[in-house]
Amino acid sequence: MLDFLATSILFCLLGGLGSLLLRRWEAIAIAVAGIGAAGAGILGIFAAIPVLMSGHGEVFSTSGPFPFAAFTVRFDPLAALMVLIISLVTAAAGVYSLSYVKDYAKRGVGAMGFFLNLFVASMMLAVVVDNAFYFTLFWELMTITSYFLVIFDQDQEAVDAGFLYFFIAHAFSMLIMVAFLLLFTHTGSLDFASFREADLPPWLASVVFVLAFFGFAAKAGVMPLHVWLPHAHPAAPSHASALMSGVMIKLGVYGIIRVGVDFLGAGAGAAWWGWMVVAFGAVSAVLGILYALAERDIKRMLAYSSVENIGIILMGTGLAIVGAAGGQPVLAALGLGAAFYHLLNHALFKGLLFLGAGALLHSTHTRDMAEMGGLGRRMPWTALCFLVGALSISAIPPLNGFVSEWLTYQTFFAAGTSSQFAGRLLGPLAAVALAITGALALMCFVRAWGMVFAAAARSEPAADAREVPWPMLVPMGALALLCAFFGVGAPLAANVLSGVSAAVLRADSLQISSGWLVFPGNPGQAVLSTPLVALLLIGLLIMPLSIALLRRRRYVAPRIADEAWVCGYQHTPQMSVSVAGFVEPPRVIFRNLYLLRAGEGPVKRAIETSVRDVTIAAKRVEPIWDQITSRLSVQGIEGLGRHVQALEGGDLRLYCVYILATLAALLIALAM
Amino acid sequence: MVTILSAGIIIPFLGALAALLVAPHVARYLSVLSAFLSFAAIVAVLVLFVGDGKRAISQDVVSFYGVAVLGFTIDNVSVLIGAAVGLVGLLVCVYSLGYMSLENREHPDEGRTRYFFFLQVFVGAMAGLVFSSTITGQLFFFEITGVCSWGLIGYYETPKAVSGAAKALIVTHIGSLGLYLAAALLFAQTGSFELSSLAAVSPPIKAAILLAILFAGWGKSAQLPLHIWLPRAMEAPTPVSAYLHAGSMVKIGVYIFARALISADAVPEVVGVVGAIAATVTLIYAFLMYLPQQDLKLLLVYSTIAQLSYIFLALSLSVFGSPLAFAAGVAHIFNHAFAKSLFFLVAGSLSFTTGTRMMPLLRGILARMPLVAISFGTAAFAVAGVPPMNLFFSKFTIFAGGFQVSHIHLLLFVLMAVAILESIGSFAWFLKRFGYAIPGQPSERIAEAGPLPASMAVALAILVALTLCSGVAAAAWLR
Amino acid sequence: METAYLFGIGLLQAILLLLVAPLVSGVSRVIRAKFQSRRGPGFLQDYRDLWKLLVRREVIPPEAGYIFRVTPYLLIAAMLLIAMVIPAIIDRSPLEPAGDIITVIYVFALARFFLSLSGIDSGSIFAGIGASRETTIATLNEPVMLLALFVVALLAGSTNLGTIATTLYTQQISAHTAVAAAMLAFAFATFVEMGKLPFDLAEAETEIQGGPLTEYSGRALALMKWALYLKQSVAVALFIAIFVPFGRATSMSPVSLILGEFILVAKLLLVFFILAFFENTFARFRIFDTSHVTFAAAGAAALAFAFSLGGV
Repeated sequence: MLDFLATSILFCLLGGLGSLLLRRWEAIAIAVAGIGAAGAGILGIFAAIPVLMSGHGEVFSTSGPFPFAAFTVRFDPLAALMVLIISLVTAAAGVYSLSYVKDYAKRGVGAMGFFLNLFVASMMLAVVVDNAFYFTLFWELMTITSYFLVIFDQDQEAVDAGFLYFFIAHAFSMLIMVAFLLLFTHTGSLDFASFREADLPPWLASVVFVLAFFGFAAKAGVMPLHVWLPHAHPAAPSHASALMSGVMIKLGVYGIIRVGVDFLGAGAGAAWWGWMVVAFGAVSAVLGILYALAERDIKRMLAYSSVENIGIILMGTGLAIVGAAGGQPVLAALGLGAAFYHLLNHALFKGLLFLGAGALLHSTHTRDMAEMGGLGRRMPWTALCFLVGALSISAIPPLNGFVSEWLTYQTFFAAGTSSQFAGRLLGPLAAVALAITGALALMCFVRAWGMVFAAAARSEPAADAREVPWPMLVPMGALALLCAFFGVGAPLAANVLSGVSAAVLRADSLQISSGWLVFPGNPGQAVLSTPLVALLLIGLLIMPLSIALLRRRRYVAPRIADEAWVCGYQHTPQMSVSVAGFVEPPRVIFRNLYLLRAGEGPVKRAIETSVRDVTIAAKRVEPIWDQITSRLSVQGIEGLGRHVQALEGGDLRLYCVYILATLAALLIALAM
Repeated sequence: MVTILSAGIIIPFLGALAALLVAPHVARYLSVLSAFLSFAAIVAVLVLFVGDGKRAISQDVVSFYGVAVLGFTIDNVSVLIGAAVGLVGLLVCVYSLGYMSLENREHPDEGRTRYFFFLQVFVGAMAGLVFSSTITGQLFFFEITGVCSWGLIGYYETPKAVSGAAKALIVTHIGSLGLYLAAALLFAQTGSFELSSLAAVSPPIKAAILLAILFAGWGKSAQLPLHIWLPRAMEAPTPVSAYLHAGSMVKIGVYIFARALISADAVPEVVGVVGAIAATVTLIYAFLMYLPQQDLKLLLVYSTIAQLSYIFLALSLSVFGSPLAFAAGVAHIFNHAFAKSLFFLVAGSLSFTTGTRMMPLLRGILARMPLVAISFGTAAFAVAGVPPMNLFFSKFTIFAGGFQVSHIHLLLFVLMAVAILESIGSFAWFLKRFGYAIPGQPSERIAEAGPLPASMAVALAILVALTLCSGVAAAAWLR
Repeated sequence: METAYLFGIGLLQAILLLLVAPLVSGVSRVIRAKFQSRRGPGFLQDYRDLWKLLVRREVIPPEAGYIFRVTPYLLIAAMLLIAMVIPAIIDRSPLEPAGDIITVIYVFALARFFLSLSGIDSGSIFAGIGASRETTIATLNEPVMLLALFVVALLAGSTNLGTIATTLYTQQISAHTAVAAAMLAFAFATFVEMGKLPFDLAEAETEIQGGPLTEYSGRALALMKWALYLKQSVAVALFIAIFVPFGRATSMSPVSLILGEFILVAKLLLVFFILAFFENTFARFRIFDTSHVTFAAAGAAALAFAFSLGGV
């Protein structure tokens, strides 16, 4: 396992360095970077799967060059899950880049491959190291490498997006560092192993949790710390966006679980932490998808949708923390299991959707959905893969998104039937939030697929679009198949994920699937069989088909094509429902929630004004020191000199008086 | 070992004298040679030191009437810092080969003898100070470096340069009064000028001596309120700014404080309190001064002041019982020397090729001068404390050390919080500068930039490599 | 073996609802006609309509893709799936692993996804707006539906339809007010889901030509109409199965099953009869006013939730 992992990271490093060194020969650089990433991904999958299936990890430790931090690697099931997620999307992105990066010719593809591979390597290392110093090191490396990917286009928009991203990421990772250092102060060691065993006073544990939560939440894109996401993810190249949105923000959730559950929780935590997480999750989920609805830029829409899905994951996580704190192991295991499942699923379908957006960008050279249309005919395979992605993200049975949302609902239900009043009150309310989110997500992605792929082309580039080459299609297809697999094959995957949550909680494994069924621990509570649903949906098609076939007369005229009806006028493609018009009703109905977003402008202006004021003040202060010291010393010395000068009257008689006076004084002193 | 070291210190002085006798265009290569030999000597000392199992030795070289006045101490810290200042000195001499030429668009100048004279004297004096074991030895080399600084700042002989030079000399000399006072007190108490005898002094006097040394350190390292000379010192040629006012001379202040702390064993807490509070105040002030600066060199000056405050903070916190903070402070000296000299040499490269240092005029550097752009980026992110650059490693350790002792008093927590906030603020500022200057379309000045000489490019490249590696190296050395 | 029998019963239930759906909608049409002082087309008119449409020529917009063509079949399959899992005839869910309230709500979502998508795919503006309205109303209605069902599920201790229905039937729940409020809220939500006046904005014939159905013709239109009739029947059957559980078969003997079928059809007709009153006394709500009404329903559901918390 660990040697596979090490080799995987080595592939990344070689791919990155090779890409940079060979940058003059662009085709080779692209190939090296892509194969490096793809290889790293495949090796990572092989590294992670044995750990996940067996539930046992590996630990590796060496002292390293730093006296205060040993280089410890702990490849436990949680780390393995994260490595699996990173590897799956990386493998897809690597193959994808072989063709996609050609669009960036002569703009530094060597550097892009370098930063991308280093980005992947630093993510993989960040999730497996077991020491706070090395974690911070790789965390910051992850941010700086992705920063260069975000500013890659080098236009003002990208640079501003990069600034916002890096600033928020760094500022909040300082919070994470402070949380770790507080633990360090208490335990005397930077090793995570010592953090796990630390016996903290409750107030300190709460401070550490809150700091770590906000630090990691900024990276995860939780509201209101999400402001960088809608700018940074669209600015980066699409395969980098796929990695950032599909994987990197998951590392934020990973951090929250590591600190909240692994270090501090599982008994020592407090329930209010969990409810705080649930609250932030619920707000992020609802507002995230609401803002996604308002977007025309497909990548910004997907970025906001990521905020929404992180909210869903956090709702499950929050309930798990509540369960762990309140001695409800089933709730804890179920919550974490649902969260991990959604983590995995979101990586898959969001990666797929971003790769699809990249394919659209490649073919139509625009990210604006209003300029697309009718691409289902011109890019059939992309359309099919994107459809699978859209269905998955809208939680349509029997695909994977539905399974993880179902498990999340069951977690809310378990909270709702628990003995604690907070659970009974807030669990069902969280379920309502999830329901609203699901309905809005459906609307959002119906619009997305419909506007892009359905009906007719609304612009010239869309009319001339061609299907993308196979290196871009294969990864999308693979991710789509995985979405279907984790949906229909949920009974196979669910127990593995439950095992991961058991490992994190250091408790017994909760069985959540058996045979063809998935159930939330207790089959009496609910039961789901996605293979059955899939089979039935396909099987029941027989009925309408047979109705259609039975009632078929030989002399029925064949189907003809004719324009859609627009009250007698000639139909043009612009006469279909528009991207903005489709979502006007919810935008009006929920306009108060959209007003919250208007707060961003005043905040930005306030910051700019205060910086400007401080700058002006500083400018005025700067010369003061000089003036004071110069004035004091120069004028003082000159004044002193003038006073001394007064002693020299120029009169010889005065000098005789001085001599006599001195002589007299000395004689008197000698006499004494 | 001591003989090799003495040779390493004397050779640059000899080279300076030789420079007076030869033509200027030979003197420049002579300076490179003597800097190289001096650095080679220090490396030899390092190798022997490591071979000897890192055993610290101390030996007197000059004594009057049985009192050692000048001596050398070869230990972990002095070898590390000595290697750093020696290497930076060598690279600056190499860089000067290219910089001091008529092609320089900002200051076309052939490089007169006095430049190379003072440069070499400085190389020797710096090495002497770092390895000095007596307070008088430190004082001797301290004042020599002051004179070199005066000579080099006033090199271009404009009114601003001359007044800047005078200010620098006067202020640092006022700072050196602290060192005089400390020497006198030490001799009065123990009859010896050796720093190691500081340990035997009674706590109140020890505190007074340390505070006096701290005062001298503030003067040389441009801390509030003795910081006024450093911005004016930017009238010097940029390699001098890189060497003196970023890489070496300003490090003297923190270095003598560090060495005093090493020698003093049990340090009274008041020293730590005074040092920490002064450092934090300077830190805040320096950060606020970033904001109005349009000249790149002035921005770097205030950044240097801020980083030196960090080092003072780390050293002061170590007084409360954190060897980790001390090691972090020393590592920060090592790392910052490379990162900040790199940044200054980048500023010099920009002014050489475009004739201006004004940041609003410099945009899109990556498109036209990739090496300068990469150097700028490396230096900017290093100063901002982002890995894999070196300053991240020492900054993290400073925070770790600080937190280690912060439970002693709430005030220390507050200081740490302020330091962290400043770190975030300066990071934001340098990120913004980076985003403005490096990517995008080249501005007019950059588009018309001249070529960069090979010697300057070599110096930049080596410093970039050092900035990436030195963090790990320092930490490993100081285990 | 029992599973196979239950599966068969589920299939039977599905086919029954499929066949009966046009009848109940025909009943609605006749009642509306009576309200409007007309004779009406007769109860079996919808059957006749479907029969004829199945052999008519289809006219499809040239830009419509495979989504447009697949949707009618998929819609019927989805509704049949729900029909199979409702404990309508028998007191258990014939297909437990798919008979969960969340699964049912999301299979409705599946149908809605493809219905809306086909609306956009047709390229017709009216279908597009219909699709937009369809999804908007779902946004407002689904949370109400979920909360109402969640309340009874929490009281019953399971999200399984069969368990909920049985627990309510055998009166093991003591929180009567909560159940009553939940029933009201769910009834309202079902009414909205059915898309009957005053909530038929998605297919507002007088405004947008039929919404997502606009461009369908011939066989596809027949199947779409049938699917939508089936959806209405299934929604009502769901409501009946949970809140009006009397008269279902308790064993799997053929007699009780046939009896259960008749009782189901009778209940369906009764409910549609009652609904006809609401249908014909209101004018269609405007899209932006709908939200006010659904918020009221949400309030009722919240009230139900509050009652259930208090154990009332």
